[in-house]
Amino acid sequence: MSQIVVGVSDFKISKNVQDMIVTYALGSCIAVVVYDPRAKVGGMLHFMLAESSIDKKKAMDNPAMFADTGIPLLFKSCYQMGAEKKRMIVKVAGGASILDDANFFRIGQKNITAVRKIFWKNNVLITSEDTGQNFNRTVELHMTDGRVIVRNAGGLLKEL
Amino acid sequence: MMNVDKILKKIDKIPAFPATVRKVWDIMKNPDYSMADLVTVIEYDQAITANILKMCNSAYFGVQRKVSNVRDAVVYLGQSNITRIVTAAGVTRFYRDVEGYRLTAKMLWEHSVAVALMSKILADRVYSREDPMLFTAGLVHDMGKIILGEFVFDSMQEIMNLVANHRYSFLEAEEEIIGINHAEIGGRVASNWNFPKEIIDSITYHHRPDLMKEEDSTNAWILYLADQACMMMGITGGMDELSYRGLGLIMSKFAIGHREFEENIVSLFEDLTNARELINLVDGKKKT
Repeated sequence: MSQIVVGVSDFKISKNVQDMIVTYALGSCIAVVVYDPRAKVGGMLHFMLAESSIDKKKAMDNPAMFADTGIPLLFKSCYQMGAEKKRMIVKVAGGASILDDANFFRIGQKNITAVRKIFWKNNVLITSEDTGQNFNRTVELHMTDGRVIVRNAGGLLKEL
Repeated sequence: MMNVDKILKKIDKIPAFPATVRKVWDIMKNPDYSMADLVTVIEYDQAITANILKMCNSAYFGVQRKVSNVRDAVVYLGQSNITRIVTAAGVTRFYRDVEGYRLTAKMLWEHSVAVALMSKILADRVYSREDPMLFTAGLVHDMGKIILGEFVFDSMQEIMNLVANHRYSFLEAEEEIIGINHAEIGGRVASNWNFPKEIIDSITYHHRPDLMKEEDSTNAWILYLADQACMMMGITGGMDELSYRGLGLIMSKFAIGHREFEENIVSLFEDLTNARELINLVDGKKKT
């Protein structure tokens, strides 16, 4: 099994059933995980902020930094490897917040909302998500069967 | 509060702050500082010299030419970068694995560097204020965790219970269970090191700048916001992660909106990429 690490503002795709794609320490950032079980093509995006209008130049250089530029790129890259939209399973994790930040800089919440909006607009269903709260998450995608595992620092894990 | 007595004794045992760094700070106070004096002081300290040479070609400091000796470093880095780089080169010796917070030395150092970088971004943008000492505060703001780690480890379940089930922040849980929090300990360490009062206070209050009585709490607020930004980006200082209070007051305290805050986070991401050499000063091989 080879491990493919997704950094912050980064995405990776694979069609090798031996691979495990992983991203570490999602705070308010979000991991979008997609998988086509028929083509066995999948990928993971670790975006930082919701909207590319924050810095258009950065979004050109590195579309994976933002939800609105990163998510389309993730899907297109998977299509190129044989995935099809109607078969794609989509899972989402991350978007943690600091405590009682109702009036504060709600990056985690904004990121969650942005993801849901983008998928809703594009008629894509999110199969499952583990978002919010106030801890970091590590997310794994196992290419052999599309299993998505979420861990926290205490080592607790659950399957999405 | 047997714990607190034990902890305070432990603070007194922390090694002295590196004399070389302090001498450099003193030299830099004089705007007409002598380059020759500076080079002499730095070169006398081999550990710091080696660290500086590892860092000074980092894109973060913007030196265009290859630097291979202290003289060139001092010439090309510029005044405020010299203070930053010498301080970073000197404080890495204090970093070690901290069991209680599930931190390796490298993780704690990376968090500290990120907070220092973000403090500089916020200070520059929001206040047009250049203060290398704030960078120092960022680098050592979580020293208290190194002292408190073993006590947190012993009380891990009680602390996590308060955080997970009783709406405590991690800081409040430390106070309740151990009797003192890591920020206050960090402030006491800085005080033992004879840091300027403003820096001591900003470390002591970096999670609760709203509780600070002094008139000018600006540095504490900047450190607080920088720390929160790093937590949001997943560069946290341990298993306490994002379990700290967001203070709504910051919106009025800082004339900064959501958009500008997010722009600053983009800058932080860029600085972190450029400052790899700084982060790599503390190696990652040691495990908790």
